[in-house]
Amino acid sequence: MERSIETIWKEGFLKGDAVIAPKLNNLYNQKSIHLIDKFKRMFKINLNAIVIGAVLFLIISFFIKIPIMGIGFFVILSVVVIVNRKLLKGLDRIDKSDNSYHYLLKFDHWMKEQLAVNKKMARVYYPLFFLSTVLGFWYSNFRGKTLGEKVVDELTIYFSDLFLLFGIPISGLVLIVIVAGLLAIFGNKIYSWDVNLIYGRVFSKLDEIISDMEELRK
Amino acid sequence: MSSDFYTSSVLPYAAIIIKICRAYTNTQVDFEDYYQEVCLQIWKSKDNFRGESEWATWIYRLSLNVCLTLLKKKKSSNQYFASDALTEEAIEDSRDFTDESLNLLYDAIRQLSEVDRGVILLYLEEKSYQEIADIIGTNPNNIGVRIKRIKGRLQKILHGKIN
Repeated sequence: MERSIETIWKEGFLKGDAVIAPKLNNLYNQKSIHLIDKFKRMFKINLNAIVIGAVLFLIISFFIKIPIMGIGFFVILSVVVIVNRKLLKGLDRIDKSDNSYHYLLKFDHWMKEQLAVNKKMARVYYPLFFLSTVLGFWYSNFRGKTLGEKVVDELTIYFSDLFLLFGIPISGLVLIVIVAGLLAIFGNKIYSWDVNLIYGRVFSKLDEIISDMEELRK
Repeated sequence: MSSDFYTSSVLPYAAIIIKICRAYTNTQVDFEDYYQEVCLQIWKSKDNFRGESEWATWIYRLSLNVCLTLLKKKKSSNQYFASDALTEEAIEDSRDFTDESLNLLYDAIRQLSEVDRGVILLYLEEKSYQEIADIIGTNPNNIGVRIKRIKGRLQKILHGKIN
């Protein structure tokens, strides 16, 4: 006669070797492999790298005479860092000893919230990065003149009827608006693609577990 | 973690952690990593214990939650859940108990979904439906039906393998 699973369990764990605890190795200094701790670590590293990068670029931009680009990047990245630092605090409010459903739901909400916020921001900061780059180069100092003035001077040699608005050729402005518009439209998609590449598996696993739990809650 | 805390508050409940970690990992290396991580998280979260449940129940809850959200890194740099579907090689690696029937039961449990693994482990630990529902955060009325279904599935997997 086959033994029941309850009997296998009880009898199996009566044998002394079944519950011998593994040796702990330098536990206090171990890097956590927990998803929430990994997110915290990754967020902190990324945000610190952004702050350092933004400050360094701001300083360098003055030396290489593209201060508008440096200031633009610094302002945009500062906003990204401030918003994400606030989002990061949300992770500290997740109690790992809560019941499994609430714990996973809170984590899932946090992931979705940070994704939604960053997607919205991406639609703004991608075009702004582009505009800062264009303006940065356009107003950069080039032998006593701005690079923009130099370009216009060159262009007017070939196109004498060049129509300018605020000193910039209309055709150039149209191109800038189109590119910035495309970045605004696809900025969130670029961000989602990037995140899904790294965390797509985590998202689908969480969804799977939560929907199974929801079925049990009905 | 201070060794005092581990010896007095974790080690007496090591069996709970071991049973849960075994169900969510397929290899000895993963199991040891998970055990270590659960111990670390118990220590980090100990201040959240408010005495509303027994310490053992709290450990069940935390161990289960930690195992549900642990990511490991493969050499190829992709991240994966150690609870992911088994390969033949992993099945061989996962046979850790001297009791072959227990090994086979664990092999079968690992073929269940993450939630079902948690439910059946708590059932086998003789937790009431209410306690299981409290730990997982579900409706106790559905636990009985789910357990019956899980047991049926386990018996089907184990049929003919165990005497």
